[in-house]
Amino acid sequence: MNRPQNAPDARPFGKAPAVFGALCLAAGAAAFAFGLGGERPGRAWQALLVNFLLWSSIAQGGVLLAALACTVRARWAHPVSGLAQAFAGFFPLSLICFFLLALGGKSVFPWVGEDLHGKEAWLNLPFLLARDGLGFLVLYGIGAAFVLQDLRLRLSAGNRGGALRRWVAGGLPTSPEESERLRRRRRLFGGLYCAAYALVLSLVGFDLVMSLDPHWYSTLFGGYHFVKAFYLGLGGLIVLAALLRGRAGGEVPAACLHDLGKLFFAFCLLWADFFYVHLMVIWYGNIPEETYYVIRRTVTPPWNALAWAVFLAAFAVPFLVLINRRVKSMPRPMFALGVLVLAGLWLEHWLLVGPAFDPEAVELPLGALEGMVCAGFLGLMVLAVSGMLRSFPELLPGARPAEP
Amino acid sequence: MAAEPRVMGLFADDAKAARAIRELAEAGFTFRRAHGPIPSDRIREAAGGRGSPVGWFTLAGGIFGFAFGFALAIFTAAQWNLIVSGKPVIAIIPFFVVGFECTILFSVLGNVVGLLVCTRLPDFRGLETHDPRCSCDRFGVLASCPAGREGELLEFFRKKGAEVRVWP
Amino acid sequence: MSELSFARIDETVLGTLAPPRRGYWALVGALCLGVLLGAGCWAYQIAVGIGVGGQNIPVCWGTYLINFVFWVGIAHSGTLISAILHLLRAGWRNPIARAAETMTVFAVCCAGLFPFIHLGRVWQVYYMLPYPNQRQLWPNFLSPLMFDVIAISTYLTVSALFWYTGLLPDLAAVRDRAEGFRRKVFRVLSLGWSGAHDQWLHYSRGYLFFASLATPLVISVHSVVSWDFALGIVPGWHTTIFAPYFVAGAIHSGLAMVLTLMIPLRRIFRYEAIITVEVLENVAKTMILTGLLVGLAYGTEYFIAWYSHNPVEWESFRWRAVGEYAYGLYFMVVCNVLLPLLFLVRSVRRSLAWLFGLSLVVNFGMWWERFVIIVGGVAHDFAPHAWGLYAPTVVEYGIMAGSFCLFFLLFVLFCKHLPSVSMTEMKETVAHGR
Repeated sequence: MNRPQNAPDARPFGKAPAVFGALCLAAGAAAFAFGLGGERPGRAWQALLVNFLLWSSIAQGGVLLAALACTVRARWAHPVSGLAQAFAGFFPLSLICFFLLALGGKSVFPWVGEDLHGKEAWLNLPFLLARDGLGFLVLYGIGAAFVLQDLRLRLSAGNRGGALRRWVAGGLPTSPEESERLRRRRRLFGGLYCAAYALVLSLVGFDLVMSLDPHWYSTLFGGYHFVKAFYLGLGGLIVLAALLRGRAGGEVPAACLHDLGKLFFAFCLLWADFFYVHLMVIWYGNIPEETYYVIRRTVTPPWNALAWAVFLAAFAVPFLVLINRRVKSMPRPMFALGVLVLAGLWLEHWLLVGPAFDPEAVELPLGALEGMVCAGFLGLMVLAVSGMLRSFPELLPGARPAEP
Repeated sequence: MAAEPRVMGLFADDAKAARAIRELAEAGFTFRRAHGPIPSDRIREAAGGRGSPVGWFTLAGGIFGFAFGFALAIFTAAQWNLIVSGKPVIAIIPFFVVGFECTILFSVLGNVVGLLVCTRLPDFRGLETHDPRCSCDRFGVLASCPAGREGELLEFFRKKGAEVRVWP
Repeated sequence: MSELSFARIDETVLGTLAPPRRGYWALVGALCLGVLLGAGCWAYQIAVGIGVGGQNIPVCWGTYLINFVFWVGIAHSGTLISAILHLLRAGWRNPIARAAETMTVFAVCCAGLFPFIHLGRVWQVYYMLPYPNQRQLWPNFLSPLMFDVIAISTYLTVSALFWYTGLLPDLAAVRDRAEGFRRKVFRVLSLGWSGAHDQWLHYSRGYLFFASLATPLVISVHSVVSWDFALGIVPGWHTTIFAPYFVAGAIHSGLAMVLTLMIPLRRIFRYEAIITVEVLENVAKTMILTGLLVGLAYGTEYFIAWYSHNPVEWESFRWRAVGEYAYGLYFMVVCNVLLPLLFLVRSVRRSLAWLFGLSLVVNFGMWWERFVIIVGGVAHDFAPHAWGLYAPTVVEYGIMAGSFCLFFLLFVLFCKHLPSVSMTEMKETVAHGR
């Protein structure tokens, strides 16, 4: 039975996250609405798509760390496992956004109404929404179940808190056998989440990113998407962990932050490797059907500038900085690096998605609208994560960790 | 050639060995070396462990290897200025593979050189004061003392629970 | 593992180096015969010509390439276990790390033979080396085959050095308890290692760098090997997924070979207290992951083949499922993806018979995967009038058998002359209670 001896401060930041999140969300929603009403509503929809993909990936990748650590019994990750699970708060918001995207029609799915010479069997709106919607439901459902088992192992009995907390607290274990059963279920859902993650994110990569250019294909695209999502999740987790430094009950031990930094470095390399693998095979084969996609994004202006920015922000700078041993356990540089990587990969999403919508673009479609919609999603994420941490302060590193 | 007698105290526990190392100086003896079958953080700290410079050799090797790999590929391509398979003569994307592999290769060679230089291996003279039990299950602390104080040093080790061995 | 003491570890492991019984020499003899058979077949090929093999137009790459990829694949798991799991601080890898790393070195040696064998005119292999010569010829580093030369040589060098460095403290332990001639040999081999605190300081640091540098090699070397195929435009070969797909498959087959080697080793050398069933169980669990990854790759390839609406691509995959080599596809899917799922059942992954049996099944399946990819790709590519089939010849079978015998011979020789379990790492496990 779990009884945290030093229940951490339930609000490490007080009201600030809620206010900040609400403001950002309001700005983003307003920008989106203005964009829809403006002369190019397509841009608003594309901003929604890009940010939906990015922020959902951060949440999915973040929860993956907790699920993976549970499945392989990685003890080093215990302090941050709770923080990683806090990202599950974004899951319902992600699902709502996905169904919102459906309203975008051709602005989100350029192939709507096109003659795809047979591919319509796969690329048609009802089927895509059904399969991807089902995929997200399954993934988020399993993720929620995983987090639920873990929360029930962390919480102690008590009646405080909102409706969600009371519901979770309704199923607390009352005997060692029940605890053991919860642990087994947690491991089961953790493993299932990992499997569902690979499948669903591969599908999402193919359906929501690759299919934007319906005539181009790459077998590794799904894998690339889920590796990128884990890289993003680790970045988000590092930013969160760094923000909590110095807060009572929220501090992640330096050794754990160091290990997280090493894993971050490893996935920086792996993401770059998957990018390079694409580049190498397509460049070498030199088949026009394949190369136009890469050429448009890496050689032709204005996208080539974006490609270099992505390379520097998401690979070159993190690689050179993270080689140093000491920097990985220092919260401030890691915060900056995490933000840089998230920004770089935001640009990378634009690099993949942008040319599909507007191949003839003369200048990059990145302006105030895109920035504000991104801020809106940042607000959503802040609200989701801070909400989770407020309802369940046992997720914070300072609480006694759940038994392995 | 040390005229001072050397005594080794063999401990079953690295914590006791580390304590002995720390107290040797106070007792007026000179700590020489500590041997053990596994690396021990406690002994390393007690013996005044600094960082190891092996990494610099590795880094140097890596930087050299990176340059060498690209140089090799670019040089060999430039000797024959022929377009093959429609690819540029000097192409960074495939040459990166050569550069990467050479980086790893020379980093490892640098690592080996660094290891040999820092550990001063092969070092057969160090085996003169080596007790075989140190590669099995004992942590040996080798100390020397001024001539005549051998008995005290032996007593020092025995009081700490060690077996002793003397090299005159 | 709590009943293990340092002395008991030494006793168990060093005891395996005692003079062997007759059965051992019989095994060595049989394996030597196998190696000689393979060498004889190779000599015959050198004398008569590469045409004695079954490869021809259109299938120009046959068992020599299949075995090359097979052995490199097996090597990667050893590095995963000894390097990557060391970085991840997975203590369960300690009992099997030494044997796994040894498996890597010998597998790379076997793999490295096959490019020579496939050359036919082996005496011209020096053409591939970059050195100034009076013909002013240089190799073209644009070619993936040249990437292979660099990558495989690097992998062999790095693995051998990593292996030897790891052996160093154990060689000293053998020296200290050996007598006579053996003592002299191990005295030289152990380079005068005395386990001094300053030696350990540098050693630990250097070992960490070795592990960190060997890790990207696991990904890059098999990616380079996969690019021998993926950089060409052959349908079924030219696909971006090959690099990670090959790496996952390599680790899958290598883990299976680890089980194949460890289970008899454990029994014969009475390592039950050291290589516990939990260790083997963890290998099996990792195989569930790699098997699923490989399955995801199979499924993705088929999906994209359809999605692409590229008639050549689709025909290649359609034929793979119903054509002359369809049985290869079913071997590969059943043996690599479906049967390893049995490891999800706890009793299966703790049963030595099941572990051993499934490890053989996976290796069989992984060999067929390479067959399906390599032979299946070129046998049925763009132009229907150029389609053709391939069957290995007796010479190729002989060489293949020789390579297997060589691998096991080297491993069997290693087991009796060098410590097959890392005493140092086992002692560290015991000391830190991991």
